[in-house]
Amino acid sequence: MLPVSYYLIVAAIVFCIGVYGVMTLRSGIMIMMCIELMLNAANINLIAFASHFSQVNGHVFVLFSIALAAAEAAIGFAILMSIFRSKNNVNIDNINILRW
Amino acid sequence: MAVDNIVYLIPALPVLAFVLTLAFGKKLPSGGGYIPILAIAISCIISILAFLQINETGIPIEVSAHWFSVLNVGILIDPLASVMLLMVTFVSLLIHIYAIGYMAHDPAKPRYFAETALFTAAMLGVVLADNILQFFIAWELVGLCSYLLIGFWFRKPTAAAAGKKAFLTTRVGDVLFLAGIVILFFNMREHVLPHLTGHETVYLLQFSTIFENIHHIPSGQLTIITLLFFGGAVGKSGQFPLHVWLPDAMEGPTTVSALIHAATMVTAGVYLVARTFPMFIAAPDSLMVVAYVGGFTALFASTMGLVMNDIKRVLAFSTISQLGYMMLALGMGSVIGAAAVGFAMFHLINHAFFKACLFLCAGSVIHSTGTNDLREMGGLMSKMKITGITMLFASLALAGIGIPFINKIVGFPVGTSGFVSKDAIILDATYVFAHASHDWIPFAFGILAALLTAIYTFRLWFMAFTGKPRQDRHPHESPATMTGVLSILAIFALIFGMLTFVPFLDFVGNTYDPHEIEYLAGLGGNPLLEHHEHGIEHEIHHIVDTASPIIILLPVIAGVGGLLLAWVIYNRRWISVASIGNMRNPLFAILAKRYYQHEIFIELISLKFTYGVLALTSEFSDRKIVDGIIDGISSFIIGGAEVLKKIQTGVVQNYATATVLGVGLIALILSFRGVI
Repeated sequence: MLPVSYYLIVAAIVFCIGVYGVMTLRSGIMIMMCIELMLNAANINLIAFASHFSQVNGHVFVLFSIALAAAEAAIGFAILMSIFRSKNNVNIDNINILRW
Repeated sequence: MAVDNIVYLIPALPVLAFVLTLAFGKKLPSGGGYIPILAIAISCIISILAFLQINETGIPIEVSAHWFSVLNVGILIDPLASVMLLMVTFVSLLIHIYAIGYMAHDPAKPRYFAETALFTAAMLGVVLADNILQFFIAWELVGLCSYLLIGFWFRKPTAAAAGKKAFLTTRVGDVLFLAGIVILFFNMREHVLPHLTGHETVYLLQFSTIFENIHHIPSGQLTIITLLFFGGAVGKSGQFPLHVWLPDAMEGPTTVSALIHAATMVTAGVYLVARTFPMFIAAPDSLMVVAYVGGFTALFASTMGLVMNDIKRVLAFSTISQLGYMMLALGMGSVIGAAAVGFAMFHLINHAFFKACLFLCAGSVIHSTGTNDLREMGGLMSKMKITGITMLFASLALAGIGIPFINKIVGFPVGTSGFVSKDAIILDATYVFAHASHDWIPFAFGILAALLTAIYTFRLWFMAFTGKPRQDRHPHESPATMTGVLSILAIFALIFGMLTFVPFLDFVGNTYDPHEIEYLAGLGGNPLLEHHEHGIEHEIHHIVDTASPIIILLPVIAGVGGLLLAWVIYNRRWISVASIGNMRNPLFAILAKRYYQHEIFIELISLKFTYGVLALTSEFSDRKIVDGIIDGISSFIIGGAEVLKKIQTGVVQNYATATVLGVGLIALILSFRGVI
């Protein structure tokens, strides 16, 4: 049985990769994937603590979270599709019309 | 009494005439000119009735109504106001009659008659006011009417400019006057009101209230108030240095000039000082200023009258000069008391008669020759006998020609009215010089101005009426309405002074209680020379009797000398006019340029100082400093926003980065503080 900190470290690394990706990547699809990474890092944490404290609550939350992530991905990709139709690419830094 | 109930009609009728003439003048014969004539004639009759009543009873007519708070509106006809009333209504009536003929060819007659009626009404308002505020309101109305009438031919640019100049120049004085009233009001409220708590109704600005309580007002304040009042008088009466509007005021119709110079407007300033004389006598420093400004103006204006070629401008400068005499007479009041008011008013009335006559004669000449320029006239005597003779009479009066010493034999002075009144003022100055102040300057001003007055008056007359015609025009005598008026005025100019000298001075001099005046003079730290145990009449005789023969002779010598000098130069032409009157003669040049007043007033004071220094400095401080602060604040905010708005990039990732950094920063801070 591994100590819970191992899981937390893995989750933190995954979360940081996700954050770094969201902050630096240009492609909308890659950003979506990085967001998924961050969500999954959170899920790992939830499972780790659920196992550690022998409680079922964490599992339930993870199921919610996955469902949420699926919904988010569906809407996000739909938005990216319509952006692609009008701009012929999905580079987020081109989508800057809401500025000064 | 009956007269008390109808005195309000005196100013009300001309106001009514103003409204009626303005509304219906176009449909009536002579532009409705008969309405003001009728109205002023009735006013004149009421004035005569009021005069008779005062003369009989010796009690002033007072009508007063509550206005608001501590102010009232009212009418006060004391001897001073009464003689002014008679003069204003009578002379104004004659000028209106004359104007029927003079303005016959002018299409704007209804406007003319309406405005002159209002002018007369405003002046009557000044004369009748029983409180200083009402006085000021009517005074401003006079200023407005002068603006309208001087600029009567407003399509002529010079006339429009002259109207504006008159309005603005007198405005300088009006502002001073108003400041004086404000200071007076605060002083009355501060120092006088506490003493009057027992009385039921107190009207603070009523003349009687003011005069009864002068001793409560601090003397320093009183000096300031009277000097400010005199500032107003300087503006209206064309005293130095605010005289510049008067010569330009000649741009209006000649009848308007006559009205301004004789019956209304300029006499208002003298009347103001006479009306508030009890205040002035308690502030002897102010009276000294009045005397000096008056004396200086008398001399200063008469020198410029010597070289003017415009017939009306010569008369304008002579008006300024004669008003200076009146101020000089009032200034002498610090020594001789209330008799000074009598001397000044006597000259004012006489001046009104002969100056109205002179102006209307000039109008008659202009009417028939079509020019104002004396150089283009000449030899008019054969064509215009009545005008010539009446003008000669009026000129004799202005120059002050008369027979001295004869009053000892026949009991009254024999001479033209100018002789009687002007010599009285000069004697007055001599008396003050000899017995009180030992200050010869006012006397010197008076006697020199008398000499110059005679010269310019007869220069005008000789140039216009004698010699050969210098223009091939066909002058003709004016219609009977005009010459009739001239004759009446000329007769008054000749004999009025002779007949009324002592009774007039006695009547007007008793406007103020002699004991009260004596008390007030003592209050000012300058007790009167004479005690008034024997009345004003005695005092006048005293002044005349104590003068040495040479002093009595001097004004007459000045008058006759001036006449002869003018005769030699402008009639016989033994001395060539061209040899004196050219620009190489520095004295002539400076006079013809009117002491460079235009340059000093317009270019130096107006353009260089007021515009160049004051206006531009305040413009600079307004634009750069005041506006600069406001603009600076707004441009700082706008600039800051320009910088800050760059944060709003529109790129979602930047926001995400900022959020992450922010959260990180908060976590860091919390961990340092040991929360986490």
